[in-house]
Amino acid sequence: MALNRDEVMEKVREHLSSELEVDRDQIAESTRFREDLDADSLDLYELVMELEDTYGIRVSEEDASRIETVGQAVDFVVARIPA
Amino acid sequence: MTVVALDGRGAERGTAALVEGARAAAEEGIELRVFGSPGELAPLAGVAGVELVPAPDRIANNEEPVAAVRSRPDASVVRAARDVAEGHSQALASAGPTGATMTAALFEMRRIAGVRRPALAIQLAVPGRTGTPTILLDVGANSDVRAHDLVQFAYLGSAFAAVVLGVNRPRVALLSVGEEPGKGTAEVVEAHAILSSAEGLDFRGNAEGRDLLSGAADVIVTDGFTGNVTLKTLEGTAKAVGEAVRSAARAGPRAAMGGLLLRPSLSSLRRGMDPDATGGAILLGIRGVAVVGHGSAGPEGIANAIRLAARTARERTVARTAELLERAGGTRGALRDRKDD
Repeated sequence: MALNRDEVMEKVREHLSSELEVDRDQIAESTRFREDLDADSLDLYELVMELEDTYGIRVSEEDASRIETVGQAVDFVVARIPA
Repeated sequence: MTVVALDGRGAERGTAALVEGARAAAEEGIELRVFGSPGELAPLAGVAGVELVPAPDRIANNEEPVAAVRSRPDASVVRAARDVAEGHSQALASAGPTGATMTAALFEMRRIAGVRRPALAIQLAVPGRTGTPTILLDVGANSDVRAHDLVQFAYLGSAFAAVVLGVNRPRVALLSVGEEPGKGTAEVVEAHAILSSAEGLDFRGNAEGRDLLSGAADVIVTDGFTGNVTLKTLEGTAKAVGEAVRSAARAGPRAAMGGLLLRPSLSSLRRGMDPDATGGAILLGIRGVAVVGHGSAGPEGIANAIRLAARTARERTVARTAELLERAGGTRGALRDRKDD
């Protein structure tokens, strides 16, 4: 599972860095989407859909609204990746 | 060959109007993949260049677009948008609910790299002026915008006017409440300052509401709230003036005689200002082409929406818009860096 977590973290960093045009080094576990990356709801929807497509998971609107940091997004995905 | 994915459901004036519009476009050589109920679309079966793709689910006008698009992957508009994203077709056209069409296009095709907020653009016919219409954007995709969004809208509109309408160096203006740079909301004032020194644009400063139909600018930029109110005001005014002219022309024998003489010119003017004439609005800033037909589009409106979608795809508008944004420093990262300097 540790490997999966690193992979997911890398995927999230890659997506955010590309879509938000921010330096990868700016993206850490504790990075907050809205406050630190200036991401808005549309940015978060795109991240959620990217993760859904990549890992075959489903993120409800309610779950998505509770995710505030990069680390929380990674935890959410890792906990739901099919074995 | 350009293939247009047509949402075969949701047209307010019914499937018959959609079928007739699709048939007219297909007869001109535009290939279509039409998503909807095979039973309803049966009149299109066997039409050269038309392929029917079963998609029995539909998103209604009263549904919340984001939730509906995310939970209904087999809805006709979602299937059609995905068809473009997967490369089976090159453009989406829909006369269904605007919110669902925009959301499906945005979620399936995604944004052009560096675009923060896509914008909905409409072509406004300028009365008495033949040829190129004025582009107004945003007319409804984003109620709240930042200055950088307005700057990006300027690039999106300029690229569309140049690439699709063939305008050489489009003149761009910001809609505000006065011509002076300091007039308007904080976002408009900041956008004005950025655009004044922006590369790759012919920025002409602020435009006022009275300039919308004067031909003073080729592209007029505003936020989606103001743009939508402006558009509906124009449509309502045009309708009221048209009715007043008709009423005046029936006021007596002499007026009727004058009305008869003016009829050909007035009919031509009315056709030019008919929302069906331009094919509807286009969502700019996404990695694909998506045209949202006018809500009450008839056969000609549907056909024009398909034609606009095909032409926009043929001209490589998305790639050329992305190139302009990158070259001119109009991406969100470049604009942010500039602000930080």
